[in-house]
Amino acid sequence: MSDDVLLKATDVVKNYASRRRVKGLRTLNTAVNGVSLEVTRGETLGIVGESGCGKSTLARCLVQLLPVTSGSVQFNGVELTTLSRRQLRPHRRQMQLVFQDPYASLNPRRTVGDIVADPMRINKIGSDAEISSRVRTLFETVGLDPSSLRRYPHEFSGGQRQRIGIARSLSLNPSLVVADEPVSALDVSVQAQVLNLMTDLQDEFKLTYLFIAHDLGVVRHVSDRVGVMYLGEIVELGAAEALYERPLHPYTEALLSVVPELNDTDAPRRERIIISGDVPDPSDRPTGCSFHPRCPAATDICTTEKPAFVELRPGRFVACHHPRNVDAVALTT
Amino acid sequence: MSLDDHSTDAVLSVRDLTVSFATRQGVVRAVDGLSFDVGAKEVLGIVGESGSGKSVAMYSMLGLVRDANVSISGSVLFEGREILGLSDADMQSVRGGEVGMIFQDPMTALTPVYTVGWQIVEQLRAHNEMTKKAAYERAAELLAEVGIPDPKSRINHYPHEFSGGMRQRVVIAMALSCNPKLLIADEPTTALDVTTQAQILDLMGRLQATHGSSIVIITHDMGVIAEIAHRVVVMYAGRPAEIGPEIDVVRSARHPYTWGLLGAVPRADVKTRRLVTIPGNAVSPLEVPPGCAFAPRCQYRMDICEQRPPLRGAHDHLDACWLSDEQRLAIRSTATVRGES
Ligand SMILES: Nc1ncnc2c1ncn2[C@@H]1O[C@H](COP(=O)(O)OP(=O)(O)OP(=O)(O)O)[C@@H](O)[C@H]1O
Ligand SMILES: Nc1ncnc2c1ncn2[C@@H]1O[C@H](COP(=O)(O)OP(=O)(O)OP(=O)(O)O)[C@@H](O)[C@H]1O
Ligand code: SF4
Ligand code: SF4
Ligand SMILES: [Mg+2]
Ligand SMILES: [Mg+2]
Repeated sequence: MSDDVLLKATDVVKNYASRRRVKGLRTLNTAVNGVSLEVTRGETLGIVGESGCGKSTLARCLVQLLPVTSGSVQFNGVELTTLSRRQLRPHRRQMQLVFQDPYASLNPRRTVGDIVADPMRINKIGSDAEISSRVRTLFETVGLDPSSLRRYPHEFSGGQRQRIGIARSLSLNPSLVVADEPVSALDVSVQAQVLNLMTDLQDEFKLTYLFIAHDLGVVRHVSDRVGVMYLGEIVELGAAEALYERPLHPYTEALLSVVPELNDTDAPRRERIIISGDVPDPSDRPTGCSFHPRCPAATDICTTEKPAFVELRPGRFVACHHPRNVDAVALTT
Repeated sequence: MSLDDHSTDAVLSVRDLTVSFATRQGVVRAVDGLSFDVGAKEVLGIVGESGSGKSVAMYSMLGLVRDANVSISGSVLFEGREILGLSDADMQSVRGGEVGMIFQDPMTALTPVYTVGWQIVEQLRAHNEMTKKAAYERAAELLAEVGIPDPKSRINHYPHEFSGGMRQRVVIAMALSCNPKLLIADEPTTALDVTTQAQILDLMGRLQATHGSSIVIITHDMGVIAEIAHRVVVMYAGRPAEIGPEIDVVRSARHPYTWGLLGAVPRADVKTRRLVTIPGNAVSPLEVPPGCAFAPRCQYRMDICEQRPPLRGAHDHLDACWLSDEQRLAIRSTATVRGES
């Protein structure tokens, strides 16, 4: 593993017991179905996909909040999946999560100052005086007034609460921040404030981000590289600009074609590809390529053979028998 | 131009709609002086951030605000007839008959304990003289029209047996059942994934073309507006900030709040660099300033902004802001009010 790689996941699988029964037996819901990815130091890897495709489950498996069913997760070169809780602790500290819901993720009965200080207290980092001075600094860093330390979460707006969540995630000086839909609950003007803040913090503290969202615009904006998930699998991964301009996977192509656009220039709108039907139940996965029942480019082989996830062009990974835009990508990379 | 008098050829003509709630903390002016027209076969978008009064505006017009402490004033003409203050019975024949409604959560319009077929049939028979058999046949046709596969068997299914997108299709079928002149949709795609949203917007566009209804669509997403609306009302703190043709508002916005709203959107179609931000938070509905509601967050604020700016403009592009045309031109040529792309 190269030194530049901070986090490396190989063939991560996570099954839940599903509610669906076949012949009386519970089937398995494969929420994450063999995901491999690398996160390079200092980059933002964005993960985008529709509801239920396994983004949150993947995030929790990567930071070891959920045990993987199989597969490997290495952090700083150390295999995490076989460590005991105690052995994990120093690594966990290096990886912090920021959650979607700034309302649900903050304890309503603790002051926001305590909420930010708690991780440092639990990990016994510094004296009381050092901790309280660091909390004040963190508040200033995320643009909150340190005089509001003694207030409770409900006294803050959604955007302010998300700043508190970010301050807490930074309190242990992590190297990796995993943000699971950090701006989805926010209004667009507040979302812009939080996204700009996250960009500034990344520069200031040399953070590495794994940034999860369903909003394709948000993901393009923050990411250096992007992975697209469908039904528990990463179907395409590549540099953000290249992937958005010339998607290889038919699902990525369709997804990008239907994002509502502002239409503020005379540039022609992408032709909309409206894929029909719904995402299948992950406990009843289609044979061959998981996307084949909805794919406009599917052929016979797609129904029987699962396409391998390969590096089709330098830095451009895709799992598809009939990738799109291949010639154009060959010319541009 | 201004919006003082009612328009005569509009399907829906709203003037000075004001809705306030008396609460223990004080009076909440959820909607404050809202005026707009919706023409025949026109799609009007209402856009604004959370709490800007979009839903209350629509629900108050249709007599759906069930709160003893509400007071509503202004005038709302539907096909030339005043509907503010109609009796419950009269309003009920308007709703679901000439005016169809679609909500963000399809379960608002559906009852979990009845089949979707039964619910469409009830709706049809409430507004039309129809036999049960004919109504069931029409219901199946409607389900087919909104793209539900195998409608003859799906008609006997319960709402929970459908996915979110399919449920929204069922609600659209219900809303269309009485061939409404006007369809009001409150965030119809907000809870849906982008591919499902595309299916629903596409469906609404096609149905609008075939049925010739006018549509009012409420959303917080400027992209959705640009995709489907002909004209747009931008709301801030219960008040209209800007009203105009979609293309004019998106390409040559006039109000500082609209500039912020457009520049804050991270885009999937072009690379965005630093996002434009509007400082501060949305104004508390209890503390809306008497002058321009946007003044506390506006970097172009002037002394005169302590007075409330009127909604005015040239032709059909209106805004409520004291800036002069020269000032706007100067601001737009120097600042990146629309974000760098
Ligand atoms: N605790 C659980 N037990 C059983 N199934 C679960 C559990 N959590 C998630 N799932 C299932 O696993 C799949 C992936 O869910 P996950 O929450 O990871 O998706 P997601 O991409 O984060 O979705 P969203 O965009 O809605 O947050 C879904 O089918 C979901 O129903
Ligand atoms: N029954 C009520 N009593 C008091 N205040 C109310 C009541 N209903 C709504 N409000 C307030 O009126 C304002 C407008 O609310 P409304 O639901 O219309 O906003 P909205 O623009 O639809 O927002 P969203 O995008 O979140 O749906 C808000 O400040 C809300 O808190
Ligand atoms: S493998 Fe076949 S079905 Fe799957 S995405 Fe590619 S073309 Fe479509
Ligand atoms: S009226 Fe004044 S405060 Fe209000 S938007 Fe215009 S310039 Fe800003
Ligand atoms: Mg999730
Ligand atoms: Mg609303």
